[in-house]
Amino acid sequence: MSKPSNPADDWKIWLVLNPATWLMPLFYALLVLAIAVHFVVFSVGLGWQ
Amino acid sequence: MAGPSLSGLTEQQAKEFHEQFKVTYTAFVGLAALAHLFVIAANPWF
Repeated sequence: MSKPSNPADDWKIWLVLNPATWLMPLFYALLVLAIAVHFVVFSVGLGWQ
Repeated sequence: MAGPSLSGLTEQQAKEFHEQFKVTYTAFVGLAALAHLFVIAANPWF
């Protein structure tokens, strides 16, 4: 299998992941990541006190 | 070799979905950048 050239071949991810199945899990993973980043930022004291 | 894809989507469907995905993702990045600019204005972290 030849190496992909991105971003031109980015669309091919949807030939592997079916968005009907994986779009919401992707969004929830993004939400978990965003919450984790906010948790770290606040815990190191960079949040509003 | 080109049988049905692993996801079951055709090439045309994958490309069509990716166009919308890029639009939504660009909007997300734009909003996040805007939010970061507000934080920099209110409370710079560097």
